[in-house]
Formats: sequence, structure tokens, C-alpha cells
Amino acid sequence: MKISRLTSAFVPAICASTCWFLFAASAGSPTSQLSADEPPLTREQEWQRQRQAKSAQLKPYRPGTLEAAALYIQNKRVLQKFAEGWKGFHPRLGGLSTGSGFAGGIRYAPRLSDGKLDFQTSGAVSTSLYQFYDLKLGAPRLFSGKLSTEFYSRYRSYPREDFFGLGPNSSKQDRTDFALEDSSYDVSAGWNWTRWLTTGLRAGYLKTNIGSGKDGRFANTETRFSPAVLPEIARQPSFYHTDAFFRIDYRDEALNTHAGGKYEIAYSYYDDLKLDRHTFRRLDAELQQHFPFLKKKRVISLRALASLSDTSAGQSIPFYMMQEIGGADSLRGYREFRFRDRNYLVMNLEYRWEAFSGLDMAIFGDAGKVAARRRDVNLQDLESDVGFGFRFNSIKSVFLRIDVAFSQEGARVFFKFAPIF
Amino acid sequence: MECSEIHEFSSSQIPLARRQMRRSLCVFLSLGWTLLWTMPAFAQKFRRDDPIWQDNDNQNIPTPKKFTVADYYDFLENTFFRAGDKTRKRALNINTLGEVANSNWFTNRHGMHAMSLEELVRGPDRGGPTQEKKWQVVRNKQGGITPGFRIQDATRTTYQLKFDPLSNPEMATAAEVICTKLFHAIGYFVAEDYIVSFSRNQIELSPKAEFVDLVGKVRPMTDRDVNQILSHAYQGNDGRYRTVASKFIPGKLAGEYRYYGTRPDDPNDIFPHEHRRELRGLRVFSAWLNHDDSRSVNTFDTLISENGRQFIRHYLFDFGSTLGSASLFAQKPRAGNEYLWEPGPTFKSIFTLGLWVRPWIKVTYPQYPSIGNFEADFFEPQKWKPEYPNPAFDNLADDDAFWAARIVMAFTDDQLRAIVKTGKLSDARAEAYLTECLIKRRDKVGRYWLNQVNPLDEFQVRGNEVLFDNAATRFLKSVAEAESYQIQWHQFDNRKETLQPTGPKAAVTRKPLSIPAEAFDGPADGDSGARYAMLEISSQSSRHPKWARPVRVYLRKQAGQTSVVGVERD
Repeated sequence: MKISRLTSAFVPAICASTCWFLFAASAGSPTSQLSADEPPLTREQEWQRQRQAKSAQLKPYRPGTLEAAALYIQNKRVLQKFAEGWKGFHPRLGGLSTGSGFAGGIRYAPRLSDGKLDFQTSGAVSTSLYQFYDLKLGAPRLFSGKLSTEFYSRYRSYPREDFFGLGPNSSKQDRTDFALEDSSYDVSAGWNWTRWLTTGLRAGYLKTNIGSGKDGRFANTETRFSPAVLPEIARQPSFYHTDAFFRIDYRDEALNTHAGGKYEIAYSYYDDLKLDRHTFRRLDAELQQHFPFLKKKRVISLRALASLSDTSAGQSIPFYMMQEIGGADSLRGYREFRFRDRNYLVMNLEYRWEAFSGLDMAIFGDAGKVAARRRDVNLQDLESDVGFGFRFNSIKSVFLRIDVAFSQEGARVFFKFAPIF
Repeated sequence: MECSEIHEFSSSQIPLARRQMRRSLCVFLSLGWTLLWTMPAFAQKFRRDDPIWQDNDNQNIPTPKKFTVADYYDFLENTFFRAGDKTRKRALNINTLGEVANSNWFTNRHGMHAMSLEELVRGPDRGGPTQEKKWQVVRNKQGGITPGFRIQDATRTTYQLKFDPLSNPEMATAAEVICTKLFHAIGYFVAEDYIVSFSRNQIELSPKAEFVDLVGKVRPMTDRDVNQILSHAYQGNDGRYRTVASKFIPGKLAGEYRYYGTRPDDPNDIFPHEHRRELRGLRVFSAWLNHDDSRSVNTFDTLISENGRQFIRHYLFDFGSTLGSASLFAQKPRAGNEYLWEPGPTFKSIFTLGLWVRPWIKVTYPQYPSIGNFEADFFEPQKWKPEYPNPAFDNLADDDAFWAARIVMAFTDDQLRAIVKTGKLSDARAEAYLTECLIKRRDKVGRYWLNQVNPLDEFQVRGNEVLFDNAATRFLKSVAEAESYQIQWHQFDNRKETLQPTGPKAAVTRKPLSIPAEAFDGPADGDSGARYAMLEISSQSSRHPKWARPVRVYLRKQAGQTSVVGVERD
């Protein structure tokens, strides 16, 4: 009862004071400058009041973390700097032999004489201690771009290269490894007859060396294949070589081809200067044709690669200089270097279709073989695989290729930063 | 209301204290209600100054910090997160007639009052670069993808020069100029653009010319730099370069604007951009002109100083990727038909191994290098898309599109022909084709969007009658008038925003419509004494079922004068 009385006495007071507070508060607010007798705000006044209210709380825009990072990259031109390099220095990622692990290094390519001279040198080391160093000096646009000349030198040290034995019947179980080291010094010149027709010559010196492989999971090559079978295991030759090539290339984009073709034939002569036991000749051919339809949103692409080698009597080809097939760029259902011999034939068929503007899909089939004799380079007893792939691309190039291939030796997945062809 | 409810529960059986409490509460609520009522009556639907035709968004503001949109972030945000308020609501910056008031975003031009042919052709231009003296090259072009540089003419006016790609002479420059004229006539702020041709000896390096390289490093510009840029530009048989000279937008660059939200540092910017009618409606204009690059990076905020005040004006910028042009090459067929990333078609294509073919892939384009890829037969205005989702475009409502479509339809065939001529295309067949496409696309825009709502418009009161027209029949030759109109008159209480029907619904076949005497018998506004009536009309047409969507027309009677004060479309 006491509480009720107390309440009844206080409630009106509370109500009154609350009302007064409300009134006072509203009178102080920017939206209530008008008294009850004044007419309502006009539209113009209402909008201006909203602007006044916003004026009191102005602040600069503060982007979120992700947006701030994107702005930083854009404003500081991080991507352009990455592509352009720093004072001619560029990062070098990947690009060594498959199975070498992650490779990184530096490339130095200063801009000389407004692009009339091309100087590049680079070095890279992988997590499996593969090493690669090269140097290039060229004049790519002589005689109004008709003539290009180049000096190129390279040193490689690949400590765990795979070797499964020679011939088409080599076994997956015979996997061994060896260390390969070579140095080369080449000069070349090419003449661009037209935009699509080029011929050229190359000459150079190649010094090779092999040793015990460093991959502890597999036997060393020399323990399974004796020098009696592969004499080059004991002593390695050095070569003087000359090459000539003829190329027709009218693809729309070399690194993201949707139309056109490429036809190239090259002849090479390797003269063993050191041992006079490994002199050989080689003819390489590449045929590519791309058949677009539906405005290049669908493409059927064909490629055939063939290599034929021969030697004079008493000469042989070192196993590590024989042509090999298998891996991301030839027979994708097989390991890298899975088959080696003097001759080979590889055929690739791809159907590519655009999923969206940044991704092409592909289904493909590969077939190929190696052979010791030229007459065995035919369409019989081909190794084959099928698969599908994703090609993330820009207009000019495929920057990421993911291929999944299946063969009788299992499934293989490749992540490559370049197209297959 | 609350008070009467409490009284209903009041009885002698309830203790006194509780009754007193309730009485007190009742007094409190009454006071509170009165207070709210006497506060500025924001509930009022129509204000004294409605319909407003000028939005004075030019109040003096502190100098804002330059606001830059991160290009890739903009793509990611709008593609994968769908930024902005998606609430379905009427555009917020329209006046009570459903029109856009003039502001620093938009000026009613050709859609409101027909511009003369001369005005349309002149567009925003006030005089291009003079060629009496050599132009001074002051810097290479920054931003965008086309090659170019900045020059100053004899009057020291700065222009940015952009060129056509070698593969498509005249294409990008023509598209830029034609669309500049069109967007200007529509009502947007755009830069002055001029097609000019010049010989190499017309230009010389300014002693202070700078070259900003790809990584932002600044060095003195050389003749070799100029020649390098010109090597990417199309050169005519007469040795002259054709270019579009864009005059620098006046004021100080304040950045770009987003198609959602407002600038937190601009007090004049109070309407979220995704709810601004002229930005929602831009989708319709962009569809017509295939402005697929209509995104934030192609907007331009500039700080204007006028009469002692500084404020931001908002421009559309860079029309190189319009019509059949993609600036550096002919437009891709995807543009306008599909976003850069769209999961539906992508997965459909992946899982059918490409056997499902996107319909736009099959479209064929005539071979006009100066036009690029532009067509009108496959085009469907309602399905058109920019490069990636745009929050304002996503919010396009039928009444926004109706507003925009009427402006599009205001361009006659002859006017379009004259504007296309400003593109200075040397191939007469290409010019005729482009004009024909624009006319066909215009008609498709009108045929679709004018018929998604009840297209009655141009309401006015004459004497005691309401007159109106039908935008669809006015602009489209083949569209017949409605067979009848279902009408309903209401008294309208402007303070309470309540309606009181004045009689039964009626079907009429003739216009104008008489205003019944009792329509204005509702309560008067306290301040002005104005009384309001509302007429709801549905048009009956067997060929256009959406004409049945009602239009609500509000009339105001004040001091013996009756006028149309509001129009709303469902």
C-alpha cells in the first residue's frame, strides 16, 4: 500500500520530467528548430538538414583490410613493378626440370638501346638443389626486324634425373636416377622472310657430364645399367653441333593459341669432339594445327612431334641425349622421362572450350612411342592416355595449366605455368 | 489510441493506485504523442515545395581526400560479395512526380525539353584544341588502356589525346565522341571530346614534358617516347593521326565514386548511390549504347569552386568501350551479354563439355572495322549486363527503367543520325549501319521498358479535368491505346497519409477524366490549407497486361488552383 502511494505520487512527476526531457532534447536537435506553429519543413529544407547532420560527422573513407591491400598494390604499382623488375632484376620462378621441386632465382634483363639489344642472364636453384644459369646476348630486330642474332650460353646441374631404361618396353619399376651436368655455348641467326616464315642456323659447343643420382629413393643409374650397356656412363662426350631450321608459324597467339598452325622442321648434327664415339644426326619435326569454331570459343587442336636420329657405324647416342617422352608436355599419363630412345613419335589431340573468359577447359588424348629403329616409328603399339584440364588464361597467354591424365600406369596431375601447345 | 485502450480496462475493481498510474501513463503518452505531432511533420507526404526540381547539393564542403577505387577489388567485391543495399525500394532522390531533380549528378536535358539538333550535336563541347600553333606534349597518358599523351594548345588548355587501335581505325574515337554527346543529352556530366587529326609536326615536346613509366617512375619525356606512342596509333593515308582530344574536366580531382553507399566526406552526398535513379537508370542507357565498362573506375569526381563554395560534381568518364568498341580491339561478343564471371553459364559449359553453347556466341557481326562488334537483332535490353555486377544497376526497378526509357525514346531518328555523324566515320555504310543499330536498339529499349508498367504519363490538370498521355503509344508506332481505364478517386489526407475512396471504381474509355467534386473534401493541410486527391488508374489492354499496374496521381488544390503534385507507379 505504501508502495502504491509512493508510486502514485512519483509517476506523474516522472512522466512530466520525462516529457520535459524529451521536449528539451528535441528542441536542441537539429530537426526541431521549428515550433509547433511553424509549418512543416519543405523538401529542400529536409534534404539540407540531412546534409547539415552529415556535416557534423564527416570522416575520410577508411577501406577495409582487403581493400586497403588492393589499393596499396594498385597505387604502388606492385604488379607492374613485379613484371618490370627492379633496375633490370626480376624474380625467376620455376622453369627447371619437372620433379626438381620449387625453383627460384633472379633474372637480370636491363633494357638496352631501346630494345635493339637483348641482354639477359639468370640463375635459379630448386629445393632439390637443381641449378640453372644462363646468359643471352642478342640483336633481335636487325634489318627492320628481318634478322635476329643471338649468343646463348647455359649451365645446368640436375642431380636427380630419372632413367627407366631404353626402349618402349622399359619398366616403371626400373626407375633409377643420375646427375646431369652440362654447359653449352651457341650462336644463332634467324631470318624472318615474312611474319610467319622463318629460317635459321645455329652452331655451338656442348659439354656434358653425368654422375650418381642424389635421389635416395631409387637406385643410381650406374648400378642398374653397367658401362658395358651404356658406355657414356663411364666417359661423357663434348659436342660441336650445327643446326638448321625452317618454321611456318601463323598461330593467333603463341601462348594461348585458338587458331592457326605451326610447322617446324629442324636438322642437327652433333659431332663428338672428345671421344669420337657419339657423333649423331637428328631430324625433329613439329606439326600443330588448331581448328576453331564458334568464334574461337571451341578449338580442336592437334599436334604431332617426331624425332629421328641416326649414327654412323661404331657411333652411339648417349642415353641422356636421347629423346624422351612422358610428362606434362608429351604423354601426360606417364612420368617425366618415362620412355627414351633414339626416335620417338608423340601425338596430342585436344578439344578445348571456354568455360568463361578467364578459363578454358580441355579434354585430351595423347599417344606416342619411342623406338630404336626409324622403321619402328609408326602407329603400332602406341602408349596412350586420356585426361582433362583447366587453362587459366589472359588474352595473350595461359598462365596456369592444370592437367589430370590417366594411363595404364595410373593418374598424373600437373600444375604448369605454360600451355602445352 | 493508447489512451482509449487503457480506459477500456479501467474499472472500479482496479485499485486506485493502479488507476492513477494508468492515468499518469495516459497523460505521459498524450504529451509524448502531442510532442511528436508538433515536431516537424516529417510524416507529411507532400511538402510545400513539392515537386522539387533542383537538389541543391552544392553546399560548401571541406576539401575531401581523393577517393580511389581499387580496380581489382571493385571487381571482386561486386562479383563475389554483391555490395550495396539490395532492399527493394523506390529511388530515393526522385521528386514526387518520379522525376530526377537537377543536381551535381544529373541535369534534365533532352528527356525533359527537346534539345535542338545543334545543341545535341554540340553536346558539352565549347571549342576544341586550336591548331594555329604547335601543341606542347606535356606528359604521357596515365590510366586506361589506350595509348596517348597530354598536350596543351596555344591557349594552354590541356587535352588528353587517345588513339584508335591499328586494327580498327576510327572505331574507339568515334564511339567516344558519339557516346559523349548522347550521355550529355541524356543528362550526365561528361568531358568535352573532340575528334581532330594532326600531323607529326603539329606536336612538339614541352621542355617540362614528363614520362611516367609503368612503375610510376618519372623522367623527362623524349621524342622517342612520342614516336613510340604514335607507333601504336592509326595513321591515315595522308600521314595524319586521328585522335580524340578530351578536355580536362574542370576543378580538382576528388577521385571516383562507387555505385553504392555515399562518400563519408561529402555532406552533399546523402542518397545511397544504389538508390539514385540516374545511376539505376544508367543501366538502361548503358544497355542501349553497350557501355559495358560502366563501373567505378570510369567515373570522375571533381571539386568545383563556384561563388565562394566548393562542392563535388560527378562525371561519367571514358566512353572508349561503348557501341562496338573495346578501345584496343573490337568489342568481344560476351560484352553486354554475360559478366566476366558468371557461375551459371560457366558450370553449364563445364559440365556439358562445351556442348551447350551460349546463345550470344552465334551472333554474327558485319565487317565494319570502324564500328567493331555492334548489333541490334540479338540485343535484349532487359538482359544486357556490364562487365561485372553494378549495385545501382542491380536495383533497377521498373519505374526507374520507365524513366530512363522515355529519355532514350526522346531521341528521334534524325537526331541520332546527326549525332552519329559527329563520329566522323569515313565509311558511309558503316555510319548508316551504326545509326540503324542505335535506332533499333532504342526501339527495343522503349518496347520493353515502357510496357513493364502502366505507361500513362504527362499528367496535367486543365479546368476540372485530368489530362494524360501514354508514353508507349506516343513513342512506339505499332502500339495501340488502352481499351479502357479502371479508375478510382480518393480523398487524400496529406498529414496522415491516408486515403478515403470517394466512390466505386469505374471503367472509362475516354479521356480526359473529370475530377469529382468530393475528391478534395478531405482534411486540409494546416500550414497551407491545401487539399489533396488521389486518382488511381489502371489501363486495360489485351496486348499489354502489365498496363494494368496502377499509376497513382496525386492532385493538390490550393488557392483555387489544382495541380499534379505526385505520380507513383507500381
